[in-house]
Amino acid sequence: MAEISFTNVSKTYAGGKAAALNDFNLKIADGEFMVLVGPSGCGKTTALRMIAGLEDISSGKLKINDTVANDLSPRDRDIAMVFQSYALYPHLTVADNIAFGLKVRGAKPEVIADKVRETAALLELTEFLDRKPNRLSGGQRQRVAMGRALVRSPNAFLMDEPLSNLDARLRGQMRAEISRLQRMTAVTTVYVTHDQVEAMTMGHRVAVMNKGTLQQLDTPRALYDRPVNMFVAGFIGSPPINFLEGRLVAHDNGPAVAIGEFLLPLAQQGERAARRIDQRVAIGIRPEHLKLSDNAGMPGTISARASFVEDLGADLLVHMEDKGTAASGAVVMDDERDMMKSAPRLKALVDSSLRVRRDERVTFSVDPSLILLFDPETGVRL
Amino acid sequence: MSRVSRRRILAERTVVLVATLLFLLPVCWLIATAYKPSNQIFTVPPRLTFEPTLDQFRQALALFDVVSLVRSSLVISLGTTLLSLLLGVPSGYALARSKARFATGFAYFFLAIRMIPAIAALIPFYLLMRDIGLLGSWWAVIVFNTMLNCAFVTWMMFSYFKSLPPDMEEAALTDGCTLIGAFLRVALPSVRSGIIACALFCMMFSWNDFLHPMFLTTLDSKPISVALLTAYGTKDITWGTLGALAHFSTIPIVLMALFMNRYFVQGATNGVQ
Repeated sequence: MAEISFTNVSKTYAGGKAAALNDFNLKIADGEFMVLVGPSGCGKTTALRMIAGLEDISSGKLKINDTVANDLSPRDRDIAMVFQSYALYPHLTVADNIAFGLKVRGAKPEVIADKVRETAALLELTEFLDRKPNRLSGGQRQRVAMGRALVRSPNAFLMDEPLSNLDARLRGQMRAEISRLQRMTAVTTVYVTHDQVEAMTMGHRVAVMNKGTLQQLDTPRALYDRPVNMFVAGFIGSPPINFLEGRLVAHDNGPAVAIGEFLLPLAQQGERAARRIDQRVAIGIRPEHLKLSDNAGMPGTISARASFVEDLGADLLVHMEDKGTAASGAVVMDDERDMMKSAPRLKALVDSSLRVRRDERVTFSVDPSLILLFDPETGVRL
Repeated sequence: MSRVSRRRILAERTVVLVATLLFLLPVCWLIATAYKPSNQIFTVPPRLTFEPTLDQFRQALALFDVVSLVRSSLVISLGTTLLSLLLGVPSGYALARSKARFATGFAYFFLAIRMIPAIAALIPFYLLMRDIGLLGSWWAVIVFNTMLNCAFVTWMMFSYFKSLPPDMEEAALTDGCTLIGAFLRVALPSVRSGIIACALFCMMFSWNDFLHPMFLTTLDSKPISVALLTAYGTKDITWGTLGALAHFSTIPIVLMALFMNRYFVQGATNGVQ
């Protein structure tokens, strides 16, 4: 069992321009399932490898159970890691792969045999114990990698995108399986992923990272409902949130946003919003929060021509024609700008029982309480 | 199968067959020589049928201490191979895992050592061995050949370890291994075919090596490759004896190549990327 904490940890590579990790602070509680999520190059894997002792720390302090671990060798940390490539030992059988850590640490042969049998049973690997890794399927290899970590009852589990090499169906299955095993063993787990579905479903808390800094640390629900900035809003949620450019205006008895010809009244948006009346804002609306409506032209609705409809089975993803609605010209931080460029069109996720056809003009209403407002300059949520 | 591809296969096989014949013809001639009576060796035109005899072998065994010659060859080639691997494999690993910027350049420098004509180093080495009293011993040849082969092994193993993802060793580290433990338990077994290929290269090089033992050994320590030359007598060349002796010099290496053939091809094509 372990509590892991980063205090002002930075990592710079010789010759590297940007820091891989920049003044990073994070405290992982004992028994917690912590997910580190972010785009590639955000520093999440660097942070994980620091915990394992595979990466030097340039400055700052890494503590494991109140002991400064900066210079501790990997073997003295008693931490198990599951690698993205699984890193199974190709010359050893499944049983020997699982037993490796115990053997190296000098466990008694009887104890090793018992533990290997137990672990194999837990992961349904019993019938493959005599096979070499090259004769296993992707899913089986993944389970062996899990077994190798589980068998040792380590201080903490570290997982580096362990599901990214599996097909979608297996990934869903293993996602649930890993969560179950973590709840069962209650061992502190740090899980790195770039998949926001894994981030949302698996962790107790999720740390969203970008460019070596921690953007937001919160429960999955809070990240979805109350992202601190446009980066987090854009990263969490699938399909990704729509960003629109608009202006805050006063409307009847409260604030509203004007997006082109449309007017969306706002619910309680606090004083910060009220102070920005007549200023430009970036508006975030999740595709699933757009509801089909018959009140075209009324305040609180947006209308556009459906330029493209993707049938996802349970839902339809409707791409709207860009007619001054998308925030294509918004001045925002680099990453958010990229995000908008890649998805400049307004998208809505609607129930597939509602027929929406291409080229049809559709109207959507939005629950005012679900509209997110951001500062278009800094990207911070208002 | 289309006609074009069938014709292509036919053409390929013809080329292979011609090439094989071209390479095997001298070997066949030499081997046949050992079973011919001396007066039939140079019949013109060459006759394919002859009365096989073991006389040449009898003569070779009478003139040469074949056991001692083969033992010398074995000691020199095994010694060279062992030393080259002991030095070269860890060096290759260290270079492959080094984070220093010049590591790759350094590895190629090792390859360059192998490209220097060995004869250039032979004379100073000869004097050196004479001064330290190793001249004429197996050690002189072993050390000289190790110098050449170890550089090659280092470079070969460097490419092997370089193509091996470090994940497995990192997994071993988190599993509780020391750096050396991870090298011995995980990295080394993963490049087994490379090590075998290197061993074969070293073995063949040293077994077939003629020039260096020629200078560095004496009558007691000379290997069979050097002894072959002594079949050239002062009056004539005893081709039959040479052919018989050549059996002892080629059969071990051919057998080894046959059994290890799989690793050899794998090693020669796999590691160098």
